Amino acid sequence: MRVHGLWKRFGEQIAVSGIDLVLPAGRFVGLVGPNGAGKTTTLSMITGLLRPDQGTVEIAGHDVWRDPAAVKARIGVLPEGLRLFERLSGRELLSYTGRLRGVPGAEVDKRATQLLDVLDLAGAQHKLVVDYSTGMRKKIGLAAALLHNPEVLFLDEPFEGVDPVSAQTIRGVLERYTASGATVVFSSHVMELVESLCDWVAVMAAGRIRADGPLAEVRGEAPSLQEAFLQLVGAGGRSAGTDLDWLGGGGR
Amino acid sequence: MTTVPTTDVPAAPAGPGGPGTVRLTPLVVRLKLSLLRNGLRQSAGRRAVYLTSLVLVSLFAVLQLLGLIALRGNAHADSVTVLLLALMGLGWAVMPLFFPGGDETLDPTRLVMLPLRPRPLVRALLAASLVGIGPLFTLCLLVGSVISVAHGAAAFAVGVLAVVLGLLVCVALARAVAAANTRLLTSRKGRDLAVLSGLVIAVGAQFVNFGAQRLGAAGGLDPLDPVAAVLRWVPPAAAIGAVDAVSEGSYGRAAAQLLLSAAALAGLLALWTRTLTRLMTAPDASTLNAAEPAAREKAGRAGGPARLLPAGRIGTVVERSLRYVWRDPKTKSAWATSLAIGVIVPVFNALQGTGSVYFACFASGMLGIQMYNQFGQDTSAFWTVAMTISSPRDALAELRGRALALLLITLPYATLVTVLTTALLGAWAKLPEVLGLSFALLGAMLATGAWSSARFPYSIPQEGYKNVVPAQVGVAWISIFGGMIAAALLSAPAIAAAIWLNVSAGGEDRAWLLLPAGAAYGAALTVLGLRLAAPRTAARLPEILLAVSKG
Repeated sequence: MRVHGLWKRFGEQIAVSGIDLVLPAGRFVGLVGPNGAGKTTTLSMITGLLRPDQGTVEIAGHDVWRDPAAVKARIGVLPEGLRLFERLSGRELLSYTGRLRGVPGAEVDKRATQLLDVLDLAGAQHKLVVDYSTGMRKKIGLAAALLHNPEVLFLDEPFEGVDPVSAQTIRGVLERYTASGATVVFSSHVMELVESLCDWVAVMAAGRIRADGPLAEVRGEAPSLQEAFLQLVGAGGRSAGTDLDWLGGGGR
Repeated sequence: MTTVPTTDVPAAPAGPGGPGTVRLTPLVVRLKLSLLRNGLRQSAGRRAVYLTSLVLVSLFAVLQLLGLIALRGNAHADSVTVLLLALMGLGWAVMPLFFPGGDETLDPTRLVMLPLRPRPLVRALLAASLVGIGPLFTLCLLVGSVISVAHGAAAFAVGVLAVVLGLLVCVALARAVAAANTRLLTSRKGRDLAVLSGLVIAVGAQFVNFGAQRLGAAGGLDPLDPVAAVLRWVPPAAAIGAVDAVSEGSYGRAAAQLLLSAAALAGLLALWTRTLTRLMTAPDASTLNAAEPAAREKAGRAGGPARLLPAGRIGTVVERSLRYVWRDPKTKSAWATSLAIGVIVPVFNALQGTGSVYFACFASGMLGIQMYNQFGQDTSAFWTVAMTISSPRDALAELRGRALALLLITLPYATLVTVLTTALLGAWAKLPEVLGLSFALLGAMLATGAWSSARFPYSIPQEGYKNVVPAQVGVAWISIFGGMIAAALLSAPAIAAAIWLNVSAGGEDRAWLLLPAGAAYGAALTVLGLRLAAPRTAARLPEILLAVSKG
């Protein structure tokens, strides 16, 4: 996947200012950065959900904006902050998405059953998605993104607000998926997670890529990715300070 | 503003606040006042609206006061005042159902985290509820009613009591209903119902209108007396009934009616206290709902009528659209409104003898509106659709599916309404002509609807009653009114043909031609409109997604 000179501006504010990024295929890629760094904007532009002001995106050799048919068939997306068709039940949502993707009906139903089982949603499959918890929504979204067996999977904050059990389930599915040679790109601000899952990392801050490469390279001398990240975004020296000296200790 | 009783409210069970606790009542009243003030400070528009409504309501209240005073001595004065008060009570009971967010101090769940006991809280909230336009209006009505029916010093003395009791019953009623419904309103199913309630009012208003016309036809206020005879025993109207009874010298009846009012107040307060306690200690109903096991294992539905749908994208889209008509509260209420108005206008007009068969076109016009802003109805879930459209062909299939779903409901419905209207008016000769016009109009609406869905999409907020985000009102107007004008222009040939056939000699015999011609014309318009809209949709996917994600 190649990204070249990607720009996006919302009014006065520049959300993404000139991103160049080359990501290898078959890897587990983590896009990390603080809130407001432009991770969601970048992922939206890469997946064709948001039109960039400038720049090009190529996935598996096809330009996202000039050849959408080739790209959209190859990618799966789980966006953050966008709804699902939540008045459908979990199973109906999968059946709807799969058929829209052009997968034959019988195949969709078979895959949906398996995905619902693996993701531990079989018991809630006839419940409307609007009544799902955050973790269940992420899982059904992931199932919908995987249904057509994409080559590249883009996940925006897939672990945000997800309980540890669901997180472990999601993780297991993703690991199995990348082991077969597929690519996963996901954004997160939980460094421990990225460190334990990814073999390739891109660090974003204020709309730019600060560093990217294999995990060990980005981490460098620092003891953990967390430390390396704080240094990269320039927040290393900030501590809780002494101003809150009344906090704790049991007094009033 | 009304005066605020900061001392204990009569009839409220005197619960000791206990030494050391804050004086809650003045605190909550002040909270209410500052919320009111801050709300007004937020925007000039809201200030203007509030002041305008304050002036209008005061004006109306004063006029009503004068009217009631003028009614003094009239034979029907007691019936009218009792009825007015009963209506007022009904208004107070219904209001919190429709404006749950209207009053910030009203929602007791916001106070859940504070260490408060229910009784002082009830007293404080009741006092706070007495601040506002509504209580002021009620006070004026009550005072006017007392002046209108009270004769003699004893009656006026009872009147003072009646005013206080009436006002408190009204406010306590509203609060008790609101508290009982907070549980409902905070759960998903409850909110879904609340969205539909606007529709109930709209349709109900039509029936009230119908009833009022009947009453007007009967002449005089005499039919009101038996109703009032019953209502004078129902609080809060019972308070005024007591005043009237004292004026007539029947003190026993007056005492009974006063007691009834006081008992109603005590009962309402007890009910309110109980609900409030339960609200503050029991878990939220919506999570309980969500934890319910999926009892309705009806996966068989996809095997039923869905099997008749075409395979591929079109069938998939039709199935989803039809499910949304039934399950999505916003879509459902829009459809229900269209369906109701589509039949009420032509049929009621026909029943009242003022109708014309051409009014039957209202049905297809109202239902055609549902084609507008198709993607806005998806909300930001439109991304799923956007991700799967990679060519104008996909977009065409998507639009065709949506149009087909709409036609599956609209076509039989419009035909039914047209036949019903013609039957009521006995104008069978006009049936083919009107049907043809109806179909032409429907086709024009579908064509312009599809095009403006792609060109002027806007968000539909999922919460609350608004159907447009404030920033997109302009787009929505262009979309709907521009589209309707365009649809009218597009169906002009069919209308012109109908007029020509009606005025030209011997045209009557050939009027049936309009049915096939209108249907064919409508179908052609639809096909053309969808074909024009498809490439636009495919080219503007990110822009549409951005526009519909603001809700």
